[in-house]
Amino acid sequence: MDSLFDFLLLIFTDYTLRTVTLGAMILGLVSGLLGSFAVLRKQSLLGDAMSHAALPGVVIAFILTGSKAPLVLMLGALAAGWLGALLVQLVVDQTRIPQDSVLGIVLAVFFGVGLVLLTWVQRQGSANQSGLDTFLFGRAAALVMRDVWAMAGVGGAGLLLVGLFWKEFKLLSFDPDFAATLGFPVGLLNVLLTTLIVVAVVVGLQTVGVVLMSAMIVAPAAGARQWTDRLDRMVLLAALFGALAGMSGALISSLSRGLPTGPMVVLCASLLVGISLLFAPNRGLVGAWLRQQRNHRQLRRSAVLEALYGLALSHGDATHAHQLGAVRAAIPGVDVRRTLAALESDGLARGHGGDLWGLTPAGAEEAQRELHRFERHGLDELPTRPSSYPFSAEIDPAEVVK
Amino acid sequence: MKKQANGSLPIHIEDLTVAYREEPVLWDVDLDVPDGTLMAIVGPNGAGKSTLIKTILDLIQPAAGQVRIYDRPYSEQRSLVAYLPQRGSVDWDFPTNGLDVVMMGRYGHLGWLKRPGPTERRLALEALTKVGMQEYAARQISQLSGGQQQRVFLARALVQDAQIYLMDEPFQGVDATTEKAIITVLRELRAAGRTVVVVHHNLETVPEYFDHVLLLNVRVIAVGPVAEIFTPANLRRAYGGHVEFLLAKAEEPNPLPVQERTNGQSV
Amino acid sequence: MLHSPVPSLTPQQRRRPALLLLLAALLLLAACNQPGQSAVASSGDGPIRVVTTVGMITDVVRHVGGERVQVIGLMGAGVDPHVYKATESDVSRLLNAQIIFYNGFFLEARMEDVFKQIADSKPAIAVGEALSVADRLASPQYAEHFDPHIWMDVKNWMVVAGKIRDELIAFDPAHAADYRTNAAVYLAQLQELEAWVQQQVATIPEERRVLVTAHDAFHYFAKGYDFEVFAPQGISTESEAGVEDIRRTIDIVVQRNIPAIFVETSVPPDVVEAIVEGAKARGHEIRIGGSLFSDAMGEEGTPEGTYIGMIRHNVETITSALWGE
Repeated sequence: MDSLFDFLLLIFTDYTLRTVTLGAMILGLVSGLLGSFAVLRKQSLLGDAMSHAALPGVVIAFILTGSKAPLVLMLGALAAGWLGALLVQLVVDQTRIPQDSVLGIVLAVFFGVGLVLLTWVQRQGSANQSGLDTFLFGRAAALVMRDVWAMAGVGGAGLLLVGLFWKEFKLLSFDPDFAATLGFPVGLLNVLLTTLIVVAVVVGLQTVGVVLMSAMIVAPAAGARQWTDRLDRMVLLAALFGALAGMSGALISSLSRGLPTGPMVVLCASLLVGISLLFAPNRGLVGAWLRQQRNHRQLRRSAVLEALYGLALSHGDATHAHQLGAVRAAIPGVDVRRTLAALESDGLARGHGGDLWGLTPAGAEEAQRELHRFERHGLDELPTRPSSYPFSAEIDPAEVVK
Repeated sequence: MKKQANGSLPIHIEDLTVAYREEPVLWDVDLDVPDGTLMAIVGPNGAGKSTLIKTILDLIQPAAGQVRIYDRPYSEQRSLVAYLPQRGSVDWDFPTNGLDVVMMGRYGHLGWLKRPGPTERRLALEALTKVGMQEYAARQISQLSGGQQQRVFLARALVQDAQIYLMDEPFQGVDATTEKAIITVLRELRAAGRTVVVVHHNLETVPEYFDHVLLLNVRVIAVGPVAEIFTPANLRRAYGGHVEFLLAKAEEPNPLPVQERTNGQSV
Repeated sequence: MLHSPVPSLTPQQRRRPALLLLLAALLLLAACNQPGQSAVASSGDGPIRVVTTVGMITDVVRHVGGERVQVIGLMGAGVDPHVYKATESDVSRLLNAQIIFYNGFFLEARMEDVFKQIADSKPAIAVGEALSVADRLASPQYAEHFDPHIWMDVKNWMVVAGKIRDELIAFDPAHAADYRTNAAVYLAQLQELEAWVQQQVATIPEERRVLVTAHDAFHYFAKGYDFEVFAPQGISTESEAGVEDIRRTIDIVVQRNIPAIFVETSVPPDVVEAIVEGAKARGHEIRIGGSLFSDAMGEEGTPEGTYIGMIRHNVETITSALWGE
């Protein structure tokens, strides 16, 4: 293998690598973007359910037309996925079964039907039916530019719709009841959004297959959520993560023989999620752990400072030294020695030899400050005199408060 | 404004019945909400209070009966009515901030496809200032306390500039400061001639806050001015047998105003 | 609230024992439904019930057994034996059979367990074992296992036909003469086929004798008839062709200036199409020379629905595609 630069250049020059990488990137982008809404609406399972529900659609499309053209099979997948989504909505609306249960049931039933049909077709002995089951696992490496154009077209239409209906989708995802009272047709918007997600699933089916598609709907969005609190940034970041996973997965799978592309893409997406879960600044686990450690350190310092101060006060001298044991007795459960060493290196305490420890003048000041810190935090601010109501004439506040 | 000056009622409900399965949730409810009032809807759990609000808003289909907003169906009068849902009805971990949520209240005025712009921002900021939340405009909503979230919801309702406000338990789980802020806003609304209907859970504050009250327990137990209707007898009928504690409250003379009950701290 | 002194059963409690009984009955029924072991003697005048797997074997057994056998082939035209899973009706057919012929070498990868279990109660013969070790090719991917596509070399299949004859004679000595006659006739046909294939292949110039297919099924063909073979997918169709596999195949196709590449009836064509597009992007025109029968034969009733027809079709397709340009 030549240099890294030559390898990266291959992405542009080599047809196969270029096609597969582009296809995987489009898949990642579209599923990240549309999957964000599924995740935010607590419908993460929807991607899984829809991709499994697509299987009978693929098989029936083949049975009806006898053709294995990708467009035909994708239309079949779209129809079945869409039917499944409608069924889910219907059952949720009409019964008390919770949504995740319904999604699971639809997933299992549709997929089971699909498998039965698939097995039946395979046994018919028709010489043309092979290859339907590749929809189960995807065949990313066998993409040709024609497929990529189809993915780009369908995906692009979906992205355009999201851009157009941005505020409607945001409102729908946050507070559908409120949206209804504003006059928005919530049912229709629901159908639109779900259809877009089904489209994303179908676009990705040929690349990563039924079983793995659910990961692509969920992972980029889940990872993106960790890094931002703004919806627009989250959705863009999810699209970016998806595209990144697609690209890296395709590239890595091209490094050696026999590496399947679909699973590699999903692995890369999972890696991004893992990193996001651990290392995102505000919501990441590592950050939270570090903050907690810092807080505990602060608390220990305060406790030791105050203990030393309290002990010293009885002698009238804030810097009076005391035995380590005395300090320990004052604040059980704290690693006093370690904290004292840290305080010493900060110039707030001093060891006088033989396990005697006392505050320095700076330390005494700090201890005093700590003791009064609670007084600094005022109560939550009370509203001041009500300002004039913006939409009508000025009113006298005195008249308002009886 | 489509408010009609000939004395038609903000909300007129006739024979309203809602049933999910065999058990009715609301039964034969008749209600006239007077103009410019602060009305409380109280009742035990499962009495149908939230259901009543949602049915008025067309979120739930009734089995029978009708609702009129100033003599017209709700679907024709949407812009006159603002809804403040229960705080627990949304996921507060949604990636958005306070200002964004309040701007959502203007989406109805914007209509399809149009994006919110500087006007919407300004109106939203004004509404947030009204409820004392202007400093939290850019704060992620999951970082807000319960009371702050409630105030954001209130701002969202305010920004709709409606004639009628339907609120579902706006005082639920809020601190004293927030409660004061909310009732202040409600009184301003009333002073401006709006009609406010509130599902309320704290019987203690009904006489102090509200002009009218509806005692609801699937059926209408009693409705009317607080002074007339909020009696031990009616409460007993609404809540069933165990109302000794509630009775004591109803028999108390008019409780002290909020200022004096907070240990002399000025407000 | 009054409580009765003796707790009476609620309706649910009363139903519970009945439910348990019902459950037990269902389980018993399911257990009884296991197809029983059939211990049918080989004597008797009815035809022998034979079950086979791939069509190539079914065809040979029909020829060698003639009227003495009633053959059921589990895998028909276009069926991929590498991933084929036996259904319950297949299993009952297997249990009902008197003798079973399958390929072995993990061609029917998902049925190996079934065959091992059945071998306890009746003859289940892996016909591939008839080949001498010298004739077997190692699987390129799995060192301890053999490449199962032995029927691609007609000479191998002649050995297999002989094996089937011998097994039928051992099972049913009474009709040994019939089997010998049938086998002799069929072997003569196979011999003719072999000669014809050699002759056809000889017309292709040496540098053109490169066979590129979807999966790696043609090593025995290559060995028997002096070809080179390349395939992006491995020995089993279960393996997925990766990006690197496809690129390497494109490299070979371009470097060696190969004019034609072949799809297979039992394998999806998209990998092959991707190779064609990839080669085109590099300025090398390659076309799909035709569809080959690799793991399965053609439709029953058509000429390609027999072993001889299948080989003829393959060789004709390969020859015309590679020879023409």
